[in-house]
Amino acid sequence: MVGAAEEAQLNRLENQVDNGGGGAWEYLCLVRKLKVRRSEKVLKHGLSILNNPNKRSKLGGDEWTLHEQVAIAAIDCQCLDVAKGCITALQAKFPESKRIGRLEGMLLEAKGLWGEAEKAYSRLLEEDSLDQVIHKRRVAMAKAQGNISGAIEWLNKYLEIFMSDHDAWRELAEIYVSLQMYKQAVFCYEELILSQPMVPLYHLAYADVLYTLGGLENLQAAKKYYASTIDLTGGKNTRALFGVCLCTVAIGQLSKGRSKEDKESSDLQSLAAMALEKTYKQKAPSKLPLLTANLRNLKLLS
Amino acid sequence: MGFGFAIGVFGVLILAHAAYATIQYRGLLKILEEEFSGPPTNVIVELLLGLVFCISAALSVPGEFLSIHPDSEENRIVSLPANLDFMIFNHRGKLFPSEKDMKLKC
Repeated sequence: MVGAAEEAQLNRLENQVDNGGGGAWEYLCLVRKLKVRRSEKVLKHGLSILNNPNKRSKLGGDEWTLHEQVAIAAIDCQCLDVAKGCITALQAKFPESKRIGRLEGMLLEAKGLWGEAEKAYSRLLEEDSLDQVIHKRRVAMAKAQGNISGAIEWLNKYLEIFMSDHDAWRELAEIYVSLQMYKQAVFCYEELILSQPMVPLYHLAYADVLYTLGGLENLQAAKKYYASTIDLTGGKNTRALFGVCLCTVAIGQLSKGRSKEDKESSDLQSLAAMALEKTYKQKAPSKLPLLTANLRNLKLLS
Repeated sequence: MGFGFAIGVFGVLILAHAAYATIQYRGLLKILEEEFSGPPTNVIVELLLGLVFCISAALSVPGEFLSIHPDSEENRIVSLPANLDFMIFNHRGKLFPSEKDMKLKC
């Protein structure tokens, strides 16, 4: 979970290191902690530390973590010889290590040798059949080969054993959404919200999928989850504000013929519309007339 | 910060002096053979003063408090982690030429 302050610090460090200001090791540690994927920069600055014997010896025991980080970044940037060099150095230091076996598997994946990678992973799984990361690599390999249904199958089997792994639930939800299997995606997002109820982005994604599914119940639930996103973000999430407005319009259209028993939430959409106007006035005043015209057309503003 | 620290030390000294005054007061009551119902009023005033000084020092000396609101500007979640366990490597970045002189020496 990357907060705004952390992102600002990361960008600042990145600028500093890019312009030759030093602090490469702090940058790499921050990237590792926040789990962002900035492989080019990691590769460039990691290699600058590793190729400089002074800086290398200053790291002490951490240099092997750096080797691993640079190896993964090199594989991502397709600099396979750099990756091979790092892995060889790691193997010399830690023979018979599963983490390094995993890195070798990733290298085989990047080279496109799917069969060999599969064999390497199965061998590692024989030794320890409960290794979470290897299971996930198998899913990723199926996804990379384009075999999405195979990936879904592997991921479902993985989630039967490790039900609390929210990264895997998120991955499964995204795969289902990409295949337009929205009902299953809804289930996955529900699991995510159950395990991490205070992350507004999950509420937002869940509301988006419900809105896409359509139907009166789903739209009402979507409106509730957009509202909870607004609650969790203190009203700053523009997408959720739009979501509330559009859900109200859609519900109104669906229940046009039926009796209007529920007028209790008629404040919600006008409040959301006013909040949207305020945000646009602050951030994008040139687009404000467009927004106001649209909201008037949808009868959300008077 | 030095000022806050000094106030803290001062507050602790005031509390110590209040404790000493109470012990002396008890000794006096023992001589007069009266019951010890509670410390005298000036000791109570001293105690309250010491409390105020120590608390203000404790709040100011350790430094800036971190924000705990989830929707404050520095805590707001910008992006979810990139799910690096499921990272795949045959993306379009394969075709972009990286700098060719990236090599791991030794």
